[in-house]
Amino acid sequence: MGGSPATPGPSPSPSTSVRRRWPLVGLVGVLGAAIAFSPLFGNVSIPPELVLRLLLNRLSGGSLFPAPCAGFGVSARLCTAYGEIVWEERLPEVLLALGTGAALGCSGATLQGVFRNPLADPFLLGISSGGTVGAAVVFVFQIDPTGNNLVLPLFAFLGALATGGVVLLAARSRFGSVETLLLTGVALSSLLSSVLSLMLLLNPTGSLQVDFWLLGNLGAATWPIDGIVLGVVLATGTALALYGRELNLLQLGPDVAQALGVDPRRVRLDLLVLTSLTTAIAVAFTGIIGFVGLVSPHIVRRVAGSDYRRVVPGAAVVGGAFLLGARDFALWVIPSSVLPIGIFTSFAGAPFFAYLLYRRRGLSTMGAT
Amino acid sequence: MNDAPVLRTVDLEVNYGIRRALAGVSTTVRSGEFVALAGPNGSGKTTLLRAALGLVPSSGGSVELFGDRVATLSVRERARRVAWMPQAEVPRDDVPLLDYVLYGRYARLGRLEGEGASDRVAARAALDEVHLGDRAQDGILSLSGGERQRAVLARALVQSTPLLLLDEPTSHLDIGHQLDLLERVRGLVRGGRTTVVAALHDLNLAARFADRIVVLHRGRVVADGPPSRVLSPRLLQEVWGVASELRRDPRTGLPYLLPRTLPAALELPESTSRRRVHVVAGGGTAAELLRGLADTGCAVSVGALPLFDSDLEVAEELQILAAVEVPFSPISDATRAELRRLLGESECVVVAPFPVGSGNLANWEELARHPRPQEIVLIAHDPDRPWDFVDGRADAIRRALIAGGAVEVADATAAVRRAVGPATAIAP
Repeated sequence: MGGSPATPGPSPSPSTSVRRRWPLVGLVGVLGAAIAFSPLFGNVSIPPELVLRLLLNRLSGGSLFPAPCAGFGVSARLCTAYGEIVWEERLPEVLLALGTGAALGCSGATLQGVFRNPLADPFLLGISSGGTVGAAVVFVFQIDPTGNNLVLPLFAFLGALATGGVVLLAARSRFGSVETLLLTGVALSSLLSSVLSLMLLLNPTGSLQVDFWLLGNLGAATWPIDGIVLGVVLATGTALALYGRELNLLQLGPDVAQALGVDPRRVRLDLLVLTSLTTAIAVAFTGIIGFVGLVSPHIVRRVAGSDYRRVVPGAAVVGGAFLLGARDFALWVIPSSVLPIGIFTSFAGAPFFAYLLYRRRGLSTMGAT
Repeated sequence: MNDAPVLRTVDLEVNYGIRRALAGVSTTVRSGEFVALAGPNGSGKTTLLRAALGLVPSSGGSVELFGDRVATLSVRERARRVAWMPQAEVPRDDVPLLDYVLYGRYARLGRLEGEGASDRVAARAALDEVHLGDRAQDGILSLSGGERQRAVLARALVQSTPLLLLDEPTSHLDIGHQLDLLERVRGLVRGGRTTVVAALHDLNLAARFADRIVVLHRGRVVADGPPSRVLSPRLLQEVWGVASELRRDPRTGLPYLLPRTLPAALELPESTSRRRVHVVAGGGTAAELLRGLADTGCAVSVGALPLFDSDLEVAEELQILAAVEVPFSPISDATRAELRRLLGESECVVVAPFPVGSGNLANWEELARHPRPQEIVLIAHDPDRPWDFVDGRADAIRRALIAGGAVEVADATAAVRRAVGPATAIAP
């Protein structure tokens, strides 16, 4: 955000800054840099140049740097191990962070638009609670003794989706106003957290795992999982981005939107289905990662204006970069870190959000008073 | 779209919970009409417009747009047939004005189709039409309330629908822009571009611009017809509870209802010990003075003022008795008589530093003619600002008054103190 001046200066009117496109290109650049740098960070110390050689070697099918470790004083066995670490651990983790961050970013932006509320985030409608209960079922009842890495995500996904489904039923009902939805989400979250507490009281051994899961982590990353996450997020994210115009109109209120040709209830339903799916897939593999979905849209608004045709895709880009940055930061501060990434996103996100609140501009453009 | 009426309601009923907003409204709007919906607050004007848009479900009867029941039309199709200018719209995001107006093209674009050059041309033309052409790149939030209202009209215009519904389109506009906007809207209708139904709470504006006035009262149609037939003192008394007299605009010949005074309850009580003060003002020069006098508990009257004068608005807000005249016309004999009566009943007259033209010179003439046992307080004019636009005639009367014992004070505060008198002077 180095591009945005700290003080607006004596600009003739605040509106001269509303149409900004180039910053969006800048954000994509930041994301590109984050993707490029992220494999250099990991909990095993490998020289950066060697990481690059190993990556290029794999990417080129062995034709570039046929002997990647030559000159680094690394044994052939260690060299193979490094290659595995970079290719099978770091890169999948980077891609999972990218997909998850993008999912949370565009879902958050969309929900802020649907609810016309700058404080909306992807977990607003109880998807986090549903996912947590799903995961807790696995931990508490020890459903997964074999350690199959797809059982936990499956349960978390189903839990998240089920919650989203209940809220959507409320949305379809005759009283499907925005307020009904929010209240259903809040009620459902409370209900689910008491279910969770009850489960953990009956079987306390799962509680540490649940706590860990609740803070989010990227440890589950593998190529097939990345395939699932990126595939789903690319599809749903593209669909969400195509609703930018409808979101813009919804900001004028449901009645005006309808008079202009947008069916607010249908669009709301479409968007809730898409964001539920997107968020559920992210939650399934990484747990609850806070603040990414809340903060990313505000960053985009500040640099690129409040047109949802830019905010939604922009928030996906910023979300990806944000989560990658948090991961890299965690590994830079504590190189052998296995700390949940959610700690770091909150660590960076909360003060930044407070700053945005303090500055007001990011929120005032959303009409929050 | 065939010869079916543009808009037709048959026995339309709309309920909000247990409150009946429309109780059997039947009305037909034909192509090329400018229909005004009039009626006091809560009479059902807005609800009727919302029902035509399909925004409120009807609990009885039907609404049809061009022969099709609204409920059977898709939201998109409705937006191609009817555009709406809502009463109040509060945008949240600071989007550029041009984009905001382009929102009006939504229903005409394909699902993935972006706005093209022709859409931009239409949007710019609409902005020019409402005099906002030079603000196209400004953010919508930087616009004033009145400018925003015009922006919303521009957005409705680019929908290029055969029916345009306006809900109190002039509520945030000054008198100049009110007339301008309604003039333009009428031009659209005359040019055959659209049919207009506008909720207007100002009967006189409705009479001046609309071909037909439909008066709603408690959810029912109580009058429907051309202004000359609909406008009557009896209607104003029955529907609005306001005594008035019917006049004709000397230039247009159109009927005009002139509220004689404010509602009857505001007549001054006969046996009052309150000090009576009459204020002569105009053009918003007396707002502070009127508030100050009202605060001291004086029985205040004001006039003669033209309808829509901002001093009159303050007077209405403070429930101050006023002698009122039709705007842009010289003060009539009837109003002069009213002014003489108010002058005669007052114990003190305060004259605000208002600009004087031929239209309101009568105020000064009456002051000069009046036998004055009472005190006259004149507030000093800003020496840098010309105020006498009648070749010094007003100034001459003013000098004569001072020579005859009138007191000149510096500002409104001093005038209030002087008018209230030493005995009842309030702390500053």
